[in-house]
Amino acid sequence: MTSPFSFKPLQLPSSLEPLRLEARAFLAEAAKDWSGWKVGHSWTGFDRDFSREVGKRGWIGMTWPKAYGGHERSGLERYVVVEEMLAVGAPLGAHWFGDRQSGPLLLRLGTEAQRQRFLPLIARGEASFCIGLSEPDSGSDLASLRSRATRVEGGWRLNGRKVWTTNAHLCDFMIGLFRSGGQADTEKHKGLSQFLIDMSASGIEVRPIHDLTGEAHFNEVTFDNVFVPDDMLVGREGDGWAQASGELAFERSQPDRYMSAFPLLPLTIDALREAGTDDRLASRRLGEAVAELAVLREMSLSIVGQLQDGHSPAKEAALVKDLGNLHEQRMPDLVRELLDCPSSIVAADRLSELQAFLVQNVPSFSLRGGTREILRGIIAKGLGLK
Amino acid sequence: MSNSEMNISEMLAEQVQRLFSARIDRDTWVHAEDGELDSDLWQEIEAMGITLALSDENAGGAGLNWADSEPVLRLCGVHAAPVPIGETTIAAWALSRAGLEVPEGVLAISGEIFQLDAQGRLQGQDAQLSWLPVAGHVLVAALREGVTHLCLVSADAGRQQAIDTLDRLPCASMELENVIPLQTAEAPFLDELGLRPHLAALRSMQMAGALARVLDLCVEYANTRVQFDKPIGKFQAIQQMVAELASQAAAAQVAGLYAARQVDAGNASYGAAVAKSLVGRAATRAAAIAHQVFGAIGVTDEHSLHYYTRRLWQWRSEGGSEHWWSERIGRKVLAKDGAHLWQQLTAPIGA
Repeated sequence: MTSPFSFKPLQLPSSLEPLRLEARAFLAEAAKDWSGWKVGHSWTGFDRDFSREVGKRGWIGMTWPKAYGGHERSGLERYVVVEEMLAVGAPLGAHWFGDRQSGPLLLRLGTEAQRQRFLPLIARGEASFCIGLSEPDSGSDLASLRSRATRVEGGWRLNGRKVWTTNAHLCDFMIGLFRSGGQADTEKHKGLSQFLIDMSASGIEVRPIHDLTGEAHFNEVTFDNVFVPDDMLVGREGDGWAQASGELAFERSQPDRYMSAFPLLPLTIDALREAGTDDRLASRRLGEAVAELAVLREMSLSIVGQLQDGHSPAKEAALVKDLGNLHEQRMPDLVRELLDCPSSIVAADRLSELQAFLVQNVPSFSLRGGTREILRGIIAKGLGLK
Repeated sequence: MSNSEMNISEMLAEQVQRLFSARIDRDTWVHAEDGELDSDLWQEIEAMGITLALSDENAGGAGLNWADSEPVLRLCGVHAAPVPIGETTIAAWALSRAGLEVPEGVLAISGEIFQLDAQGRLQGQDAQLSWLPVAGHVLVAALREGVTHLCLVSADAGRQQAIDTLDRLPCASMELENVIPLQTAEAPFLDELGLRPHLAALRSMQMAGALARVLDLCVEYANTRVQFDKPIGKFQAIQQMVAELASQAAAAQVAGLYAARQVDAGNASYGAAVAKSLVGRAATRAAAIAHQVFGAIGVTDEHSLHYYTRRLWQWRSEGGSEHWWSERIGRKVLAKDGAHLWQQLTAPIGA
């Protein structure tokens, strides 16, 4: 019996160290005034000025061709920058979705005109993208999407509703999945297409959805006869399902799937040291968290390596997200256990704010990007459970 | 790793897989749990040179590093091989690295630290030394004026008392009092924990193998066991549990290999700590899930599942429990300020 999993190790070469230190120095300066509340948002946090600064340093679209505003650097260089950003809870939301999903999608499947128009904007931190997948009746069951794209002269008319669209109220563009043919009931995976949508187009209404934290990162986006010209179809008509699934496999293994709560740990260590807490429980629990992080990072790196080699380890990526989400969801409770944190939110106290934000935010971690149960279904099928 | 090393590593793993598939079954386990070493099997293992995988080529070994040997050590867990291949392999590796001769036969290793006095006499004890009752020699790490040494002693050199363990394999306590070792050498490649990290790394790799097999057994059982007119594997509740088991098994596999790579890079204690902390907990959760999937049949003597779960429960406490290693990581982390944690996590292997 050989292993049911492929996790060939990938070791980051030491040549990446200068880049890591450069990113670390930039972030140490930038993060000085970030509140705990802001740090908690991290890759969903929207800060256009920060994204422009990151863009200036060449850290968006790092792997893309220079012809499109990219920097032709390696996937590993990108990995280093991304994990350094997440380690301090940098607000990546204004460029993250474009950098991680929309840009690569356009590179792979977009027309030359689409690439030339959008990629340089994303790389400079000037254009923010949101992802329009979920609908009121289609969350995990994306194939049941009902929002419709209807052929008209010179393009398409979009009608329907998207929900849980992160930062739709702040973004310039959406890549949305719509039913351009077939029926939701009979041809679930067929007839879905991806469109590049200008969020300022008439007929689009964005309404906030307030969440547990009292804020509204999510939105409901209504499309009422929104016109999208022909040249804003992404890839091939009817192939949207396969195109969107491909993106998800990549998304599930990235460091953001286990590092969302990481910035809590250094603060907790400092608080424990200051309190002079020297007990076995604190050491043991902290040690467990560190061991998990070390192994999750190895798993995540391995998948990056496999993707670079042209493999598509979907089952392994789902495993990493499941384990990663479990880890990051446990972190706020670990802090409660070790520090007897009160439930009060002390303004300007980073640990208190970050803790409070995360307690209320972690339930979403195992929902976004595929719910835990859906992922486990993928894993079970991948193992041959019938 | 060069291509030729890759091939030797893969070839050895294939050979071991063939040997184990042909020779290890329930009878072998029952026999071993009665306290007997299958000497025919052991001779075949020695004849194939498996236990010299890690040893220097000029000592007659294959000269593989730990990462290359990981598949073989994991296979020992996949088959719950009731033979001390890992212990003997590690002992032979350490002996050859210290410039000592590797004796034939079963070698046991102690994860405890002994004392070596000025007259070259060993003192110390190990409350639980796997395979001691059937071993010819024991390798221990001992401190002499703060310097770590390796000492090879005859297995009957000290007082030993057989003890019962969860895996029911041969095990005994050992107490050495003024024992003159057969061989002694300084071992600068070991830190203050002696051979414990290496034993912990071995157990992590074995557990990863056992978890892979337990997962395999669960998938097979879930696909064949019919309840409510369909295989239980069709029920989402079962699928969710088996997927969680798979996550634990996958993480354990990565952790075991990580420990091996850290040993190769001279940072055995950190690698072992990470692996043992994670894999010990994975074993606990995975064993619970597996027994739930199998229902009552899994706890019966006639089913093979418990041979695996008892080993998982045994191994998670050997070479330092997951709690012991976690505490050690935590203490090191708390010795420096919070900002250091990220530096530690991103440090290259071996740092």
